Amino acid sequence: MGKTIIEKIISEKLGRDVKAGERVWVPLDLVVIRDFAGPNAVLQFDEVTGGNGKVFDPDKIAITFDYQAPAKVEKVANNQRICRKFAERQGIKHLFDVNTGVGQHTILEAGLVTPGSAIIGTDSHMNLLGAVESFSTGVGTTDIVAGFILGKLWFRVPNSIKIMFNGKLEYPVTPKDLTLFYVKEMGGDGANYLSVEFSGEVIDSLNLAGRLTLASMVTETSGKIGLMVPNDDVKAFLKEKTGQDFDGIEPDPDAKYLEIREYDVSDLEPLISCPHTPENVKKVREVKRVKIDEVFIGSCTNGRYEDFKAAYDYLMKVGKEFHPKVRVIFTPSTREVALRLLEEGIAKAFVEAGGIVTNPGCSLCTIGHHGVLAKDDVLLSTSNRNFQGKLGKGSYVYLCSPLTAIASAITGEITDPRDLL
Amino acid sequence: MAVLRGKAWVFGDNIDTDLIYHGKYLPITDPEEMAKHAMEYVPGMENFAKEVKPGDFVVAGRNFGSGSSREHAVLCLKYLKVAGVIAESISRIYYRNAVNNGFMILECPDVTKKVKTGDELEVEPETGRIKNLTTGEEFYAHPVSGLEKEIMEKGGLIEYIKAQMGR
Repeated sequence: MGKTIIEKIISEKLGRDVKAGERVWVPLDLVVIRDFAGPNAVLQFDEVTGGNGKVFDPDKIAITFDYQAPAKVEKVANNQRICRKFAERQGIKHLFDVNTGVGQHTILEAGLVTPGSAIIGTDSHMNLLGAVESFSTGVGTTDIVAGFILGKLWFRVPNSIKIMFNGKLEYPVTPKDLTLFYVKEMGGDGANYLSVEFSGEVIDSLNLAGRLTLASMVTETSGKIGLMVPNDDVKAFLKEKTGQDFDGIEPDPDAKYLEIREYDVSDLEPLISCPHTPENVKKVREVKRVKIDEVFIGSCTNGRYEDFKAAYDYLMKVGKEFHPKVRVIFTPSTREVALRLLEEGIAKAFVEAGGIVTNPGCSLCTIGHHGVLAKDDVLLSTSNRNFQGKLGKGSYVYLCSPLTAIASAITGEITDPRDLL
Repeated sequence: MAVLRGKAWVFGDNIDTDLIYHGKYLPITDPEEMAKHAMEYVPGMENFAKEVKPGDFVVAGRNFGSGSSREHAVLCLKYLKVAGVIAESISRIYYRNAVNNGFMILECPDVTKKVKTGDELEVEPETGRIKNLTTGEEFYAHPVSGLEKEIMEKGGLIEYIKAQMGR
């Protein structure tokens, strides 16, 4: 019987053939903690190991600060200090401090993520690294402590489903619209415990940024991981960051899937996820006219250079100025992205249009930092979650593409990006 | 075979991690402190943490615990001494975190149609048997099995690892 991608990855790590459903202990290539939950893991590790325990391999641990960077409240400042001291004590060199950005993107740019690697982290969107065919997944603090001690972690080898997207995305439809289409089709628990393999013409032509967007929201369908076999764009990125060539891991033709779905997405329209669950997806033209107070472009889902470049190009084409009553916040995912936005004048154009460009980080994805909402405020966000009250009690969050966000930032109400072209 | 008894608190679908334990409390590292904020953002359930009694059950619809990897969302209920969660489906990270903490979770189709808030339940985690003592109806949830069951029986992942190392 042939193997799915995830069966191949885990078999390779274990040095023996595994099948979906088996319980296995997978050796880990990287254990990642953040400034949220990271300090909890450190304190728990110290408690379990009597205060003088050693991690399994300091070179396979990374610490990233993105939840509240730089710290705004003393408790978080203390939490970040706990992590820094832990790094010193354990000889952990992969510490990415408050100037670096969103953890998963930072470790990706640092060349720490490769196809076939197994990574855990205290971020539910770790699995966006499935975009480079890494088995990366979000876990809680106890899993991290186990990982610190053993260098391996228990998993149920997941069953897989295969989703093929054929056709072509027609501008101004973006990978985010495809992603919201996927979330709508699967529902909030449609991929629970599963590995999702994406393929087809659209995936073949999707660059790394678009693949990261799609893989990130596998979480919103409760999936364990969303995997794509690297194309030339991904391979070129990996070569640049790691100095190595990767072939990618193809599933066997006779691999066993719980389900295979095939879609032609040529007719896809701009989509929007309405309050208060990501699966509540509609066509943008069905919710037009809703007045908005704030717009957020960024996050681990839409914080790549390509996302901002697409937003910039669209802005230059249709408007150049944001509505005076809308607060428009841009947050690059990483320092590397931020630098490029500065160098190319993109950040300048956003500020000139009336926007705010912040330092890299998770920004408005959590209530941890700036941009918090008042009761009855409406936020249009390129992020991945619109849970009730997540960014402020009594507020409303809609999720959309960077282009829908820009169109709406210009008009002050939810707007189909096609309407301004 | 352990049989648990307690009152049910029934919640709807998509009770996400921000509803269970809001992001603004993430900096908290003391689980006793976390317990005070359990379910605070679920509309109408603001007083849950004050009113729930040790041994009570959280009953919910589909996709319970979706969202963040925050283990706080398990710990806040565990430290309130809630006996466990019985939901129509449980999102994967929440499931892992519950197993790793030896916190009872059961997936049970249509449970929100069979149980109302205030009903007395009798639950046998090992077999998944649930009896609603208020209505008299008896039905079955999917019990946890395999390695997850072994971890839960030890009281959680850390205890499991210690037991393995001690062998």
